[in-house]
Amino acid sequence: MASKRVSLSRSRSSSSDDGILSRISDNTVVRKGKSAACDAVYVAKRLLRSTGKAAWIAATTFIVLGIPLIIEMDREAQFTEAELQQASLLGGAAPAQPK
Amino acid sequence: MATFVSPPTAPAAAAAASDSAAEPPKVDYLDLPCPIPYEEIHREALMSLKPELFEGLRFDFTKGLNQKFSLSHSVMMGPTEVPAQSSETIKIPTAHYEFGANFIDPKLMLFGRVLTDGRLNARLKCDLTDNLTMKGNAQLTNEPHMSHGMFNFDYKGSDYRTQFQLGNGALFGASYIQSVTPNLSLGGEVFWAGQHRKSGIGYATRYNTDKMVATGQVASTGMVALSYVQKVSDKVSLASDFMYNYMSRDVTASVGYDYILRQCRLRGKIDSNGVVSAFLEERLNMGLNFILSAEIDHRKKDYKFGFGLTVGE
Repeated sequence: MASKRVSLSRSRSSSSDDGILSRISDNTVVRKGKSAACDAVYVAKRLLRSTGKAAWIAATTFIVLGIPLIIEMDREAQFTEAELQQASLLGGAAPAQPK
Repeated sequence: MATFVSPPTAPAAAAAASDSAAEPPKVDYLDLPCPIPYEEIHREALMSLKPELFEGLRFDFTKGLNQKFSLSHSVMMGPTEVPAQSSETIKIPTAHYEFGANFIDPKLMLFGRVLTDGRLNARLKCDLTDNLTMKGNAQLTNEPHMSHGMFNFDYKGSDYRTQFQLGNGALFGASYIQSVTPNLSLGGEVFWAGQHRKSGIGYATRYNTDKMVATGQVASTGMVALSYVQKVSDKVSLASDFMYNYMSRDVTASVGYDYILRQCRLRGKIDSNGVVSAFLEERLNMGLNFILSAEIDHRKKDYKFGFGLTVGE
């Protein structure tokens, strides 16, 4: 019983004896601001991490699915172009003869 | 399950029949095209969505000795997955050499494969008459109870196909598929595995035009499989499939593309388990193909990449 009373009085005295800085930091507005800042940082971190993960998945998926497709379509287009050119060189002469 | 599922197919067939009957060009129902074999009903979707993905290196060499006889050699190197209790996959590096001999004749086909680890695989396809075909498949391993043997008898009618299956372990199966309209075919199968005391029944339906193929299959094992393939042009087709297992509550859906270009064939797929895969076969020269295979499992963080060369044929 006695020890409890002593500890209580000691804690009360220590709070009243604290400097101005700790009194400011104990202020409700400051405390709320602090927790809000902490929350904001936490949410931002989570958001950054999840967007990073999503970007990673999207990028690797694109590397596997998209890039080979683009390269092959480009090659195919080049082939058809070359063929068309050849056909116009050869075929261009052929229709000219009947005229 | 089977009785529960069968009613929707019958009205669908009836509806399709009445639809086509209402169409101006009369359909001769006695002269319908022959349907696709029952086990190949998902052929187009499987071709586009399930390429032979591999990990590591592959080298295949086929040499024809004469018109009918050819030998094949292949080397596979790379990690193979070992089944483990933990969720993490364990891979151990392995290397195999496979020797094969093929005999191909219009009436008779024989294939044999031997692996260095002692597995032997033999296949046989023989046309007994114009309509009746016999197929055999045998797999022998040095592990006990892992060897299989199976015989299929296929009969091809004018607008139907039927198959009878015999396998070791008292496995019997029969299937029947019938063209109902020029585009729609319906089929059913029954099987009985005496060793495991299991039996089942299944139904399948397939609707194909020259632009699209839609198939559906249900079986009393709880499997529901739907697939849809759309041919965008003669080079490009898009495929999607949906698999549902009633017993294990597994659902998978996948979407893929299949590009067949002059110098290459490219297949890509993404599925609902977070697996992305692509398979590229590039023709470098006559009889020389370069293969690239990639599979990324985002959820399990399992990445498989492989490359290979195919020489000959």
